[in-house]
Amino acid sequence: MSRLLAIAASRWTRLMLLALILLSLQTTVLSDLRPFGVMVPLMLLFAVAVGAVHGSEIGAITGMVVGVMYDCVLTSPLGLSSLVFAAAAIGAGLLPYFVREPTWWSRLIAVATFAAIGEMLNPVAQGIIGLSGWLHPRIFVIGFVVAVMAGLTAPILMPLSRWTLRESVSR
Amino acid sequence: MLLALTSIILLTLDLQGSSATSTVRTVFGVVFRPIESVTRVITRPLSNSWYGITHYDDVDTQNQLLREKIAQQEGAAVAAAASVRLSQELLALNGLPTLAGINSVTAQVIGDSPSNYLQSIEINQGSESGINIGMPVLNAAGLVGRVTRVFADRAVVMLITDPEYALSVKVVSTPRSVTATTIANEQSATTVTVEPIPDTTVATTVPVATIPGFTPGATTVPATPVGVTTLTIPISGTLAIRETGILEGQGSSRPPTVRFISTDQRFGAIEVGAPIVSSGGSMSLAPPDIVIGVVSRVVPRLGTAGPLLEIKLVADLSNLSFLRILLYQPITERVTP
Repeated sequence: MSRLLAIAASRWTRLMLLALILLSLQTTVLSDLRPFGVMVPLMLLFAVAVGAVHGSEIGAITGMVVGVMYDCVLTSPLGLSSLVFAAAAIGAGLLPYFVREPTWWSRLIAVATFAAIGEMLNPVAQGIIGLSGWLHPRIFVIGFVVAVMAGLTAPILMPLSRWTLRESVSR
Repeated sequence: MLLALTSIILLTLDLQGSSATSTVRTVFGVVFRPIESVTRVITRPLSNSWYGITHYDDVDTQNQLLREKIAQQEGAAVAAAASVRLSQELLALNGLPTLAGINSVTAQVIGDSPSNYLQSIEINQGSESGINIGMPVLNAAGLVGRVTRVFADRAVVMLITDPEYALSVKVVSTPRSVTATTIANEQSATTVTVEPIPDTTVATTVPVATIPGFTPGATTVPATPVGVTTLTIPISGTLAIRETGILEGQGSSRPPTVRFISTDQRFGAIEVGAPIVSSGGSMSLAPPDIVIGVVSRVVPRLGTAGPLLEIKLVADLSNLSFLRILLYQPITERVTP
């Protein structure tokens, strides 16, 4: 019983539950609200925010988990988003290698940059596995809007990721 | 590295159509759908507020335009209905398939694609209503897409603009100008006059009463010659000629294209504005003669490739609400008991 409670209280359980809520927001309200015709990829933004806050390893695992969940509601092949999200989160997690003591705004820039790269990487990955047709100039517009939206949402997503993936719950 | 390998294995399994990945999706759907439904209810006021703020002026303008358009089209609709009925009767007499003979299900759009790189929507009818994968989806204007995933009470529709979408279509080369006019009068019969304007030939006009083999019923001849019933029959040279090609989606920002059009001399040059309809056939997932759009641009290509046609769709895919799913399956897909 205590072991079950420990699993329920673990950070990975929190991650799964939060990812379900974020996914439900993604498929409902964010599918409707499209600033400049671009959908805000909340799942990707969260994975990248986790990478920027917790580093590459935790970011990659989070990217993988939320990516598989995202793939489950799409018609694209299972594993495609997880690969892209994990790659973007790893990229954001490399920030400490370039900035000695990352500040909140350097993390924010990292989230915005790698969210845009991750979103633009998606059609490239689709093209690699044979689902061509999405590589056109509009992906730069999409990347730019996603970067702006990532910059706006990062102040919320970074504390959220910090709370979700902290080591243990304080008693 | 391990995570990357896991993703690649999942991709490989899914692309090969593994049942394991389908099971994962189904199980996840069972867990996720209740959460999504609750979130949809909670966030609906937010979505409505957003639409109210961002689209109010557009809706107001559209409303005025639509009122004007309805007034203009009320008269034309009578003529169109008569023509459609006549066409269906002719097709039925000749044993040809018509859309009127295909059952359909009406569904409402309940969600857009949650991705920037998928052109799909979700509807609130599924296998319980008889919907199957591949069935064509229409709105009031024309073809919208086809069903790609089916659940018990919902389905996912791939839009015609998705790069994965492909359909065999016909390009109808019409005479240069065709007008239809209806003059309705209580004391006179309905008159439908179709006047093609050919390049050099003149259309032959034959009064109904003089068509061999045709005996008119009781006809009230009006006092003035305005309402005299006439039928204008175009000469064979001005009849519509059809050529088939493949329509393919190009993403949301670019119009769909039609290629593999033959450069047949008989077909002649394709003009902007030529209608595009589905071609049907035993292998096609859509029945014949569903309206898709009109040619908006002709891109000539060298050699035997034939021209590339850009299509302006008649259905407004950015504003879909109620859709009709034709319960149509080609002969090759039907399961015989």
